[in-house]
Amino acid sequence: MGGNASCDTSVSLADWGRSRHSGTAHVEHVFCVRTVKEPHDTRTKTAMSIRSALTFARVHSVNAKPPTPGSQSSLRESNRARIVEAIRQFGGLTQVELAGATGLSAASVSNIVKELTTLGVVQTAPSTRSGRRAQHVTLARTPGMVGGVQFGLRHMRVALADSAGTILADHQLPLGTDHRADAGLDRAALLIADMLETFDAESSELLSVAVALPAPVQRANGLISSPGILRGWDNVAVSEVMAERINKPVYVANSSNMGALGELRHGAAQGAQHTLYIQVGQRIGAGLIIGGELFWGANGSAGEFGHTTSDPDGQICRCGNRGCLETVAGGNVLLEALRVSHGVMTLKDMMRYAGDGDLGCMRAIADAGRAIGLAAANLCNVFNPERVVVGGDLAKTGAILLDPLRETIERFALPSTAESIHIVPGSLAGDAEIIGTIAYALERSDLLHGYSTQQRPSPLTHTPDPTEDQ
Amino acid sequence: MNNAVSGPTPRDRAKPIISLRNVTKRFNAVHALTHVDLDVFPGEVVALVGDNGSGKSTLVKVLAGVYQPDEGYVAFDGEHVMINSPSTAQSIGIATVFQDLALSDNLTIVNNLFLGRELTTSGLLHEHEMEEQATSLFRKLKARMPSIRTPVAQLSGGQKQSVAIARTMLGNPKVILLDEPTSALSVSQSAEVLNLIESLRERGLGVVLVSHNLAEVRAVADRIVVLRLGKNIGTFHTADVSYEQLVALITGATDSLSGLQ
Repeated sequence: MGGNASCDTSVSLADWGRSRHSGTAHVEHVFCVRTVKEPHDTRTKTAMSIRSALTFARVHSVNAKPPTPGSQSSLRESNRARIVEAIRQFGGLTQVELAGATGLSAASVSNIVKELTTLGVVQTAPSTRSGRRAQHVTLARTPGMVGGVQFGLRHMRVALADSAGTILADHQLPLGTDHRADAGLDRAALLIADMLETFDAESSELLSVAVALPAPVQRANGLISSPGILRGWDNVAVSEVMAERINKPVYVANSSNMGALGELRHGAAQGAQHTLYIQVGQRIGAGLIIGGELFWGANGSAGEFGHTTSDPDGQICRCGNRGCLETVAGGNVLLEALRVSHGVMTLKDMMRYAGDGDLGCMRAIADAGRAIGLAAANLCNVFNPERVVVGGDLAKTGAILLDPLRETIERFALPSTAESIHIVPGSLAGDAEIIGTIAYALERSDLLHGYSTQQRPSPLTHTPDPTEDQ
Repeated sequence: MNNAVSGPTPRDRAKPIISLRNVTKRFNAVHALTHVDLDVFPGEVVALVGDNGSGKSTLVKVLAGVYQPDEGYVAFDGEHVMINSPSTAQSIGIATVFQDLALSDNLTIVNNLFLGRELTTSGLLHEHEMEEQATSLFRKLKARMPSIRTPVAQLSGGQKQSVAIARTMLGNPKVILLDEPTSALSVSQSAEVLNLIESLRERGLGVVLVSHNLAEVRAVADRIVVLRLGKNIGTFHTADVSYEQLVALITGATDSLSGLQ
């Protein structure tokens, strides 16, 4: 690294603590970007900044020498970091807006943007603002983008990422209970178009879109395989309907499986061979990782953990069975149980009250943890995982859910099985599903597959070289 | 079983911020509101839905102090109040964002926020303090905003709506009335506004939302109040009514949920 002295511009990055890519870049000086972040999305930002840090590091190898504090070069560096942070926050800004957002003078913005452009960190495109010419600055991205759409029971989340997997934009939208497929998909398609526009990207740059649904999905045709679980979406060919709207290949999968994939690629399941990912929220789902791969099952609906029978004499579930785990420990059921004592609440309210020490809410969540733990113990006996990762909204309550869950698994799983299990909260928290969906879109994307096969032709099939004929 | 909620379920030991009882408003021969009851609790989004001319806007204007009810009782925080004018409404903690937003396009975001109530120190504008307050406000509301020195004319519809809502927040209100906040907005812009409504709710404010878009109402509202021809047809928890039932109630195909079941 010391030999790389010609590179005098050291771009240091927030949260850059990983040495995985140390072969291509060294960033030894970790600089804290001084923008105040919202507490609720710090995690997102961290996840994203780690990912974008990877992109950064790939672009340039960085001189390791930290600048003296207070010196001109450290000032320069902090200004540069401010600009990058502002662009990331807003997707794209003109230079004038950048000056306003960062508090820097127009001249230094222009200088820094020029510098960052030559470094390949940002890119500019001419545009107009209120009739005047302006330079629209966006983060440089690897060509090609994918979209991820995640439908929950009460919300929808749409994200765009470049082909390196860096999430560039992320939108959430609340939805009503029992929302409709057509309205939801319409909005998702419009949002994707809107978001592409903020990046000045052509629609041809979009390679594919993956859609995650909170219901079992048949892998072959993207249809929901069991009716009634997601009302308003039955018999809707999601991939076809969506593909028609955006004119790109669309892949549909179950959102718990996507959560598992997210944790496997970028979260708490990294490095483990056999993991059980449990998603606890309004619904309960799971994703199985076996041998380092997501396990899909015969038709793609593996991991319907919420529909394992928990009480044979219990309530009828949406799926048509009786006493599924979801009818005992699903978020809606907990809220319904609390309705008499606490009135009507949302899941967020319940979690907030539980965090504030409300006994009723804590009890409801703890009981859910026990019921889930019992079902998980049975499952762990069957496939002996080394890790159990708990994600989903309710996992944010931390020990209130996790302690009873852990205790029950330890009590009811075979001692030898229980011994080898590490039960951990998901490290991506609420972002596991969308990060997994993006990863899935990238992995399924035809273009990338085509690219890799073109690059490395199989030794068995000899592709004729046009020059050979001469 | 009739799922209609006669009085709202007590939301976690909270008392209503605003209670309207028996409110009637007549414009000569036209009965705009007839014996309407309404409660708004802290940390709750109440949606007013109804056809054109059902009295939604009149009800909002009664709350905002634009109209005075001919009959009825209005209580704020448990005490009887007379809302004689919009400024009274503002001073007791009811803020309103009307459909036209009433922003000055030529002024910057900060200037709009503090229009008419500029912070001054010894007669001079305290620009720095105003900017700081504006920035922290947008941060609290989790609203995406470019520079706060941008003229409002350059903002998108959703951002303008956010500025208008943020402006009402400066008076530290307890209730915010939003009249059609997402009409004429694109999907991503209305997403912003809906997220903003959720964060108002999380901050413990009561929100009264007037909207024609039932999908959005069902997405953010805790309770839905259906008005038809100036009468309160029913108050429902969002989870208890389906889209079809709402339409039936709004159009008058049925008078109660039990009729549908």
